[in-house]
Amino acid sequence: MEMRRSNKALIISILLFMAGTALSIILVSSPSEKLLGGEAIHRLHMAFHGLFAGIFMVTSTIGFYQAFRIWIGEAIRMGELQVGSFLNAFACFLTIVFGNQIYIPYRAAGGPRSYFLETSPEIHKIFFEFKEFTGLFTLPLAVAAAYLICVYGERLNDNKQLREIISVLLILVFFYFVIAFGLGAAITKLKSI
Amino acid sequence: MKNSANFEKLGAAQAAILSAMFGILILALVHLGTEISEVFETTIHNMGKLWMPGAEGIGPYSGKETVALVAWLLSWLILHRILRAKEWNHRNVIIIFLAGIALATTLLWPPFFSSLGH
Repeated sequence: MEMRRSNKALIISILLFMAGTALSIILVSSPSEKLLGGEAIHRLHMAFHGLFAGIFMVTSTIGFYQAFRIWIGEAIRMGELQVGSFLNAFACFLTIVFGNQIYIPYRAAGGPRSYFLETSPEIHKIFFEFKEFTGLFTLPLAVAAAYLICVYGERLNDNKQLREIISVLLILVFFYFVIAFGLGAAITKLKSI
Repeated sequence: MKNSANFEKLGAAQAAILSAMFGILILALVHLGTEISEVFETTIHNMGKLWMPGAEGIGPYSGKETVALVAWLLSWLILHRILRAKEWNHRNVIIIFLAGIALATTLLWPPFFSSLGH
């Protein structure tokens, strides 16, 4: 147990060191004034929205895979599942928070919304509006999954009905994430902020 | 939420999924309402402005999120208190949950609005 704990501390330290190094290199060598100047805040929000959506893509895909393992009754490493489901819900929350903020330049005069409404309103209606709402579905679903995995813990291994509930939640998180992410990617290809 | 739930039963799990479904369904219904009534849309936008940073620029979407969030968390609290020591029929709960999510998705699908004349 002692060895396990020290390994965990070592891994976390290495990861923090690597993240710090990467951040320093980016700050020193990137054209950060483009990110931080002018309409800086919107660019930062966009960057973080994309970053957390990317993380959420990874966690929700793992969640989708775990859902099938849970569904068929495979033995689960509860610690991994609990940490993963928490990260999934947290990435989802941050994606939505930053997504809200980039809605401001999207709706602003001369922004993509007015462009789409003038040229092809169905793109705003179908692509954007549907995406913005189905994207929100993921938060209560991911939070419910994380909560249940954490509070029921090992009971999950013996309770088939509980496993069904959590599998359904994780599959739905992935499903609605894919809709929102796919439509969001399509919109940025048609006209970015 | 009190921690005196009986986790040998499914009640706490059923409360969590039904409240998530309820919040999602309220989101869809509020959106439908704002598409139908401008007064309702303004009211909903004002609710977003009460607390959300940048709500003025975000528009009525901020209020829709606010109402859905309150509906989700409040219904979770209430359902958790009702179900914490018991459980409802698992099959029925799953059917209600999936039906609610499907209904919310349908209500938000833009061609559905068009079919209603909006």
